[in-house]
Amino acid sequence: ELETIAQTWSEHCKHKTFSGPVAFRDGKKVRKYRNLFKETIVKATKTLNRKWCLSVFTDNAGIVEFGKSGKWGLAFKAETHNHPCAVEPYGGAETGVGGVIRDILGVGLGAKPVLNTDTFCFGRLDSDKKLPKHALSAERVMRGVVEGVRDYGNRIGIPTAAGGLYFDDGYLLNPLVYVGCAGLIPVDKIHKRVVPGDLIVCIGGRTGRDGIHGATFSSANIEEETSSSAVQIGHAVNEKKALDVLMRARDLGLYNAVTDCGAGGFSSAIGELGSETGARVRLEKALLKDTRIEPWEIWVSESQERMILSVPKRNLKKLAAILDSENCEYCVLGEFPGDGRLLVTHGGERVVDLPMAFLHGGVPNFEKPAVRRPVKVSSKPPVSPRQPWGAVLKDLLAHPNVCSRHSVITQYDHEVQGGTVGKPLQGRYGDGPGDAAVIWPQAATLDQRDFCGFAVSHGFSPAVGRIDPYQMALHSIDEAVRNLLCAGAEMSRTAIMDNFCAASPRDPRVMGDLVLAAEGCRDAAIAYGAPFISGKDSFYNQSTGADGREYQIPISLLVSATAPVDDVRDILTINFKEPGNPVYIAGSALKGMGGSVYAETAAAGNNAVPKLDMKAAVKLYAALLRAIKAGCVAAAHDVSQGGLGVTLAEMAFSGGFGAEIDLSAAPREKGLTALELLFGESPARLVLEVVKDREAEFLRLMKGQPAAEIGQVTEEGMLAAGDGGAELFREDIVALKACWKRELI
Amino acid sequence: MKRPRAIILRGTATNCDIETASSFRYVGADPELVHINQLLSGEKKVLDYDLMAFPGGFSYGDDISAGKIYAVKMSKLSGDFGKFIRGGRPVIGICNGFQILVKTGFLPENPRNAQVSTLYTNDCGHFLAKWVKLKVNRKSPCIFTRGLPDEIELPMAHGEGKFIVEDKAELARITSGNLHALTYSENPNGSMLDIAGIATPSGTCFGLMPHPERNFFSWQSPDRPAAAREAEAAGFHFFKNAVDYVR
Repeated sequence: ELETIAQTWSEHCKHKTFSGPVAFRDGKKVRKYRNLFKETIVKATKTLNRKWCLSVFTDNAGIVEFGKSGKWGLAFKAETHNHPCAVEPYGGAETGVGGVIRDILGVGLGAKPVLNTDTFCFGRLDSDKKLPKHALSAERVMRGVVEGVRDYGNRIGIPTAAGGLYFDDGYLLNPLVYVGCAGLIPVDKIHKRVVPGDLIVCIGGRTGRDGIHGATFSSANIEEETSSSAVQIGHAVNEKKALDVLMRARDLGLYNAVTDCGAGGFSSAIGELGSETGARVRLEKALLKDTRIEPWEIWVSESQERMILSVPKRNLKKLAAILDSENCEYCVLGEFPGDGRLLVTHGGERVVDLPMAFLHGGVPNFEKPAVRRPVKVSSKPPVSPRQPWGAVLKDLLAHPNVCSRHSVITQYDHEVQGGTVGKPLQGRYGDGPGDAAVIWPQAATLDQRDFCGFAVSHGFSPAVGRIDPYQMALHSIDEAVRNLLCAGAEMSRTAIMDNFCAASPRDPRVMGDLVLAAEGCRDAAIAYGAPFISGKDSFYNQSTGADGREYQIPISLLVSATAPVDDVRDILTINFKEPGNPVYIAGSALKGMGGSVYAETAAAGNNAVPKLDMKAAVKLYAALLRAIKAGCVAAAHDVSQGGLGVTLAEMAFSGGFGAEIDLSAAPREKGLTALELLFGESPARLVLEVVKDREAEFLRLMKGQPAAEIGQVTEEGMLAAGDGGAELFREDIVALKACWKRELI
Repeated sequence: MKRPRAIILRGTATNCDIETASSFRYVGADPELVHINQLLSGEKKVLDYDLMAFPGGFSYGDDISAGKIYAVKMSKLSGDFGKFIRGGRPVIGICNGFQILVKTGFLPENPRNAQVSTLYTNDCGHFLAKWVKLKVNRKSPCIFTRGLPDEIELPMAHGEGKFIVEDKAELARITSGNLHALTYSENPNGSMLDIAGIATPSGTCFGLMPHPERNFFSWQSPDRPAAAREAEAAGFHFFKNAVDYVR
């Protein structure tokens, strides 16, 4: 019983911190929250109240409407698997992928997964920091994680086509592994209801001693004695069997409810499904990997690839026939009685006997103190670079947070199911960095004449968060929305997810970061009209270093976003398409080098974070989307890490064309330096290639918006940029590409 | 016109079955997904169909080696499969499907019906997914590649695609008969003679590592809209040719 309570009430399962009371002290002012999560993230969704949100926050994933047929919903979920990946990178990453796929299989009555996403944060591969004995090097963690995602995602036949890689020594001891999955579900299958008398059926993998205490271990700091036996062992093929069975059984209506066994194993899956009906479980019926396992271990084991179904007795035979035909193992563990009592036995022995009401409502919670972290901000004009501008651009292109990700992306099957229309590697040579993945889920809809799709993108900027967590949230949501726009997706229908990672919530400064970022999430979601549909948080990402000091990760918020694409045949890519086409910049550059890649590589003498004007951004994007839909735009790419110089270089070498750029017309805040314009990372900016003979219409549609022509695409493979009379750089695109196309792994 | 019946074979972790079936449906066939268990139990019969496809995936986890377990399961039905294949009904094995055809000994065709070649781990040592340019051997008897231009692009996605034949006589049989219908323009995995796909001398049974079903429509290309002059892309013709042949 204590184990059951420990799992159910753990930070990992209950998210006590985020949904608990907080007192935030900012100077002399104190702001109180009774439930931080409800007053920020959920508040935005409730305020927006979009009717295309079909299911939010209640199930294993959020669901929004998909396509025009009215038949489909799109389920989307992202979570983290940080602690397991720190101690056992390969197994941790595999089971992270497996776990989030099961969330999609276990949402409503089951969705068919059509896309996996992954975003990783590692320490710098060239880090010279001394590691404590128990810690793995950044390279070893990265190799293990990439191989784990590869071997699991590829085997199960779901494309891994969106995500990111981020290197910072703040993640040296505590890597972050965000995994996401999106799936399609028929709209009449999004509700589940356990009926008293239903059987509890477990399908898929067997139960073993792997992953004992996963939930509780993920709710504590990683220390020397942390054991890798808390990490589960993955087996992708078992999950594929369960997937194939579920899709057939769902369409035949053979079960009333389904959920996955994740953290806490049976105890939380059966506990959740039976929260109203109660559950009667006979543990001796479980199929086991290991006969020496103790009853309590069976109950809390987090062995992978197990799904729990609530099956009417009359359907068991039909379900069993499907399971047998796919060689998928199953066992009947008991039933949902309807008396609200959780009774678990092993043989004749009573293991758990608790009222469900206590298990799900009894968790005590305490108010946590939070304070604003003091940060010194310098707003002086930045110092000009010592190197020539072209050399700075080359350094930035080769920076680990900017350079090509092809050596990782090509290890993933990003095109299985034949629906990855917007590719992570795109352009004339199939190697340019795409802004958003666009999926045409033809393998789920089975309709090749329906061209509706959806785009998925991310926003992530912990470097900004170190200075200003509130602006970090704004920038991240803006970046995600802007990436969707670059693919031509309907960004007015963006749905987003928050995934927070932070150090120990017992540190009031960590809680302060969280409060500010959550406030930013609420404000930006409302301003962009983009409701949160799901999310997750992971705390205690901190460890003791070799020097005995505590190292915390920076506050990290991954924003995952999705928006519909009306016709996948019309989406945009980033590469320059035709010499002679004018190049435009949209969005005004703001002062401040804070959080930029440049500021990490050189002393800029300025760490102010540009304050995003969300209202202006939303107006700009709406106008731009009209221009894109009118066919005026040939290519679009956002200005993000590395700044405008990097954006232009990527568009040029991905298309095999050069460009002559004069930035003098580029909209900017008064007094902005050339450095800030070219390598600053002020948000809400995009570079566009406009179709030459549609330029007049483009200008008409963009009237009143901060957009200006800055040059032309050229046949010759030279990228040249000047500001007014002075030329800043003139570089061969082949040489720029060579700097950028590094083998990370 | 009669719609030929296509059997799309699957098993545990056959992952590309749906898009392969959709491709056959698009070009006018009637595809049916059939699990190897349904053949082994006698519920379905191979010889009831006009066309056969072994789709890509990781059948049975590719444990032991890619396609091996599926090949072993098929051995109980080798009589029916042999009649189907040697009888000249079109068969295509894509990626894992090619690996299965190699492990069963159906490709390259040989009198003993023994495994004479293998598809081994890529030279880079791991799975690799990318678009590759392929040369089409116009002299090949392969019915699937008929009428294709000299060079096409398809995505590949495999960890074990290095085609190896140890016996020089077997290799000579492939080259002299122009059975190597597709070769890589830039070898991505270390295959002998850059071989990406081979056919039987009759041209009706064909296995290849790249995925024609993933470059079936022009909007599936990474170079867009440059590649989008027509709706159908190179991969379409592989399937269309098979259906036309049966008709």
